[in-house]
Amino acid sequence: MIKRCNDFGAGGVSVAIGELADGLIIDLDKVPKKYEGLDGTELAISESQERMAVVVAKEDVDKFIELAETENIEATIVAKVVEEPRIKMYWRGKTIVDLSREFLNTNGDVKNAQVKVEKPDEEKSYLKKEEIKDIKTKWEETISDLNCCSQKGLVERFDSTIGANTVFMPFGGKYQLTPTQGMVARIPTLKGYTNTGTIMTFGYNPYIGVWSPFHAAIYAVVESVSKYVAIGGEYKKAYLTLQEYFEKLKDDPVRWGKPFVALLGAYYAQKQLCIGAIGGKDSMSGSYNELDVPPTLVSFCIGDVDTEKVVSNEFKKSGNKIMLLKTKMGQEDVIDFDDLKENYEIIHKLIESGKVLSASTIKNGGIADVITKSSMGNKIGCKLSTKEDLFYPYYGSFVIEVDGDIEEEKLEQIGETIDEEKIIVNEEITFELDNLIKIWEEPLEKVFPTRVKEETKPVENILSDKKCTITRKMPITKPRVFIPIFPGTNCEYDSSKAFEDAGAIVSTKVFKNLKPENIQESIDIFAKEIENAQIIMIPGGFSAGDEPDGSGKFISAVFRNPKLKDLIYKHLHEKDGLMLGICNGFQALVKLGLVPYGEIKEMDETMPTLTFNTIARHMSRMVNTKVVSKLSPWFSSVELGEEFTIPISHGEGRFIISEELKKKLIENGQIATQYVDFEGNASSDILYNPNGSVSAIEGITSPDGRVLGKMGHSERSYREIMKNMPGRQDQKLFESGVNYYRY
Amino acid sequence: MEVKRIYVKKKKGFEVEAKGLLSDIKENLLIKQLENIIILNRYDVTGITEENFKKAKYTIFSEPQVDETYEEMYPFSEKDNIFGVEFLPGQFDQRANSLEECLQIVADGNRPIAKSAKIYILQGNLTKEEVEKIKKYIINPVDSRECNLEKPGNLEQKMEEPEDVAIIEGFTTMTDEDAEKFYKKYGFAMDLADLKFCQAYFRDTEKRDPTMTEMKMIDTYWSDHCRHTTFLTKLEILDIKWDLLKNIYEQYLKGRNMIYENRKAKDICLMDIATIAVKELKKAGYLTNLDESEEINACSFKAEILVDGKPEEYLIMFKNETHNHPTEIEPFGGAATCLGGAIRDPLSGRVYVYQAMRVTGCGDPRKTVAETLPNKLPQRKLTNEAARGYSSYGNQIGLATRTSSRAISSKICCKKIRNWCISRSCTKRKCC
Repeated sequence: MIKRCNDFGAGGVSVAIGELADGLIIDLDKVPKKYEGLDGTELAISESQERMAVVVAKEDVDKFIELAETENIEATIVAKVVEEPRIKMYWRGKTIVDLSREFLNTNGDVKNAQVKVEKPDEEKSYLKKEEIKDIKTKWEETISDLNCCSQKGLVERFDSTIGANTVFMPFGGKYQLTPTQGMVARIPTLKGYTNTGTIMTFGYNPYIGVWSPFHAAIYAVVESVSKYVAIGGEYKKAYLTLQEYFEKLKDDPVRWGKPFVALLGAYYAQKQLCIGAIGGKDSMSGSYNELDVPPTLVSFCIGDVDTEKVVSNEFKKSGNKIMLLKTKMGQEDVIDFDDLKENYEIIHKLIESGKVLSASTIKNGGIADVITKSSMGNKIGCKLSTKEDLFYPYYGSFVIEVDGDIEEEKLEQIGETIDEEKIIVNEEITFELDNLIKIWEEPLEKVFPTRVKEETKPVENILSDKKCTITRKMPITKPRVFIPIFPGTNCEYDSSKAFEDAGAIVSTKVFKNLKPENIQESIDIFAKEIENAQIIMIPGGFSAGDEPDGSGKFISAVFRNPKLKDLIYKHLHEKDGLMLGICNGFQALVKLGLVPYGEIKEMDETMPTLTFNTIARHMSRMVNTKVVSKLSPWFSSVELGEEFTIPISHGEGRFIISEELKKKLIENGQIATQYVDFEGNASSDILYNPNGSVSAIEGITSPDGRVLGKMGHSERSYREIMKNMPGRQDQKLFESGVNYYRY
Repeated sequence: MEVKRIYVKKKKGFEVEAKGLLSDIKENLLIKQLENIIILNRYDVTGITEENFKKAKYTIFSEPQVDETYEEMYPFSEKDNIFGVEFLPGQFDQRANSLEECLQIVADGNRPIAKSAKIYILQGNLTKEEVEKIKKYIINPVDSRECNLEKPGNLEQKMEEPEDVAIIEGFTTMTDEDAEKFYKKYGFAMDLADLKFCQAYFRDTEKRDPTMTEMKMIDTYWSDHCRHTTFLTKLEILDIKWDLLKNIYEQYLKGRNMIYENRKAKDICLMDIATIAVKELKKAGYLTNLDESEEINACSFKAEILVDGKPEEYLIMFKNETHNHPTEIEPFGGAATCLGGAIRDPLSGRVYVYQAMRVTGCGDPRKTVAETLPNKLPQRKLTNEAARGYSSYGNQIGLATRTSSRAISSKICCKKIRNWCISRSCTKRKCC
């Protein structure tokens, strides 16, 4: 239906709509305004985010507007495409723009600039070898350098698992400490699944750019492609996109020389590797008074891959060989591209053959950086014996972990993985891994905290012998699930697929609120859906942006509608219905009273709630949870005491409950799951209990177990596709819910 | 209509935001006398009945488990320093907007008007300068301002009816000198030569004076942001004092000759150098999976994937987006906008966005506020706010993200603070 489409960015209407066709008549009075008082010029050119401009045929207009409405989206006709190649805009009955396309397309007067290039000073080369006297000090300096140290507190603020296609968590290994060298995700499919995914990596080192923008561009490309290869990508199938960011060039030929040489560097690297940068973006405004940004060219590399074959970079087990594959340096600090290509082939072949257990490419920080990071994830140490420079940035070189012998003469063994949690260098220097981790985490801990000030206290292990006492009234082979979608809900796709995979029929409906009459309409639609469904599932997301200052308020306002409240009561008490809420859904269930009370209640201060994580930020990672009660049919397919590694992603997951009520819930078996450490013990340590929940409570149920609310996103992990995360991830939650009606 | 006011304060043990701010200010502004901070959320609402207000008090405005509420009055102490912060008019206030949406449900469809503000109560024996310092740290004048503590009589924003768009009288007949004055007065992004180019167009082709909208629109169209003006500037190579580079430059010239063999050669410009490799590689038979269509605003390649064992053709699309300057002055909004653009652009190509990589750079974020350049935000605030902006947007949209930051030491480069946000979304669409 859509013939052309543009998003609104800088330039507003004039660009977003203005670029859709050569001839246009735009009526600015029709453009929806965020606030009053804008004049014609502002309406035409001011940046107006969160909008799209689309071209549809005249006969499709009504259908298009209708479809937009079902998604709670406002669509308005604002312009007409015409033959005459002119762009015209009307405002309050007057023509305020009437320009020929030909003139606009000239891009103005032709600009000229002069370029001058000087050779960078070899003496100051970033790639010059330096003599290391004290390996121990240098090692510690290296891993605490701002560009090597931990950024976990920053990374965890970003949801890394939504979409249920994440193959690499940002931090790999049991301890979630090894930063991966790139992103890997499977390609999303509406129906069915695929193993094919994409690898995405980047390369950039500002320090090289300051010395020589030409070299910086080359090594940005090399770094990005090498990371991609280390993960398992075939370099010939890779594509690049480049980001340039430079100082204001003014009329200075020397300043113009900087992007000029950088782009020639990128040109050279592309030609040598026979892969192309098919996209890019430039920004040339990096100056403030006398200060300029360092010449910057960032290379991004992407390609498709069979995700079953990708390899992450944390060491997998002790007793394995650690091998180095080094790429030669050519003239003038430019890498030997022929050798590089040969090495890319070798690494790819080895990964395809399944012989490589972990792989990294070397960058700033050298071998020391790679070894430290690979060791941390599973706390598998290593013994190094090599004469190689441990700190030199051997771009385009690889460190791989292999099990057994490999016949490849270019590979050189530099060490082996060991049981002890130590890194031992040439039998002289020993680092304790825990100590290295501390040094690595410390530099940015204050800026991006990962720890909280609250002390950890012992937490009771709950284990209930209560059994599920409810049984279905009528067998239903394909139970129906209703998944309501609110403004801000974002887990509806993943949740629907999870239920469909388990054999249910899923119906989703959007709650609309653009017009006053939409509210009642939506309530009526929801009422019908609730009456038809066996299971109601409230998915995760940020309903109404978790505002005003608290999550789930929008959803709970909807379900407090007298008609819906009544139907929910019947669903749970008369109609043999089940209910599930995950993350935002759990927040809504708690704020309604559905857990732990089993019905919608007026709020008072004795009720439990979910509030802001003690660390006061969003938290996205994997956690270990233990099933501590089998009261609920939602856990019928797993054993009491079983543990699972489940993704979480929330800002308000801290479960608060009074001591008295908690005792009652434990007695009833209503505490369903707890956050646990590696020994299976409930914990208040933020390493295991990510939000500071009382008694490490992750999920609770209603008194009869029909309603379950939990923070962990079981719908994102049940397919167990993550490659750098040990532990079982399929909690069989959706299966259990569906099976309740089947057997 | 009557305005209702309500203050909401977190109960003891739940005031994580205030606690975080307190230690942040103590550590970064080094204000030792500051003993405590209390943060209140203040809401002003009109268009709601007493009954509905009561219903919403403990379900929408607050939660009795974690909040305390104060209707109309809060017992402020004379000893404390008190100030409030609100968004500038026209800035999107998600808190007030969501409040209205929630209240609308309670009120059966009638949407009340709401405004939100945050009130900061500073306790401790502070000097005037210290209070100002704290205010400056908290309020970013690009998006917010200090608000009045008195309750307004109504919440309607009165807006004057704007005037008609001006026609720039005499533009076509301006002398060079007047043109230069005009150019300086309006701060155009185009250069003076462009302005004269416009003058000639309106004089010779349109035979009339332009409107202000037309001039601003042309300026936008020809800006670096929309049209890569810098990258399309024709280059004259004065001198290359470097054999290796001269050699590569010659390879590029040779490549050009081959590509532009039978057609008009493009000017030698940064854009040409950036794009010629792909043209050469294609001609030589590489990049066979490249997808090209008439309507391209992101790059894409074809991939045959097996869905449940059956081959299907997909397009993988990716793009990078940057937002340096906006993020530097308004980190939260700037970063969110950057990601918004990066998502919507591929969306306009009818694809589904499924992963993003965020790469940022900034100076050492451990530096104290005292080391910040005048008129700039501290690195720590910048980097944290930008992360908050991106993650707020990305987490809400539901976009799996991996982020990485490069710090640039001031030892080897300038002290300029900078921040760029590149997000690359990789997307798919079914081929039709």
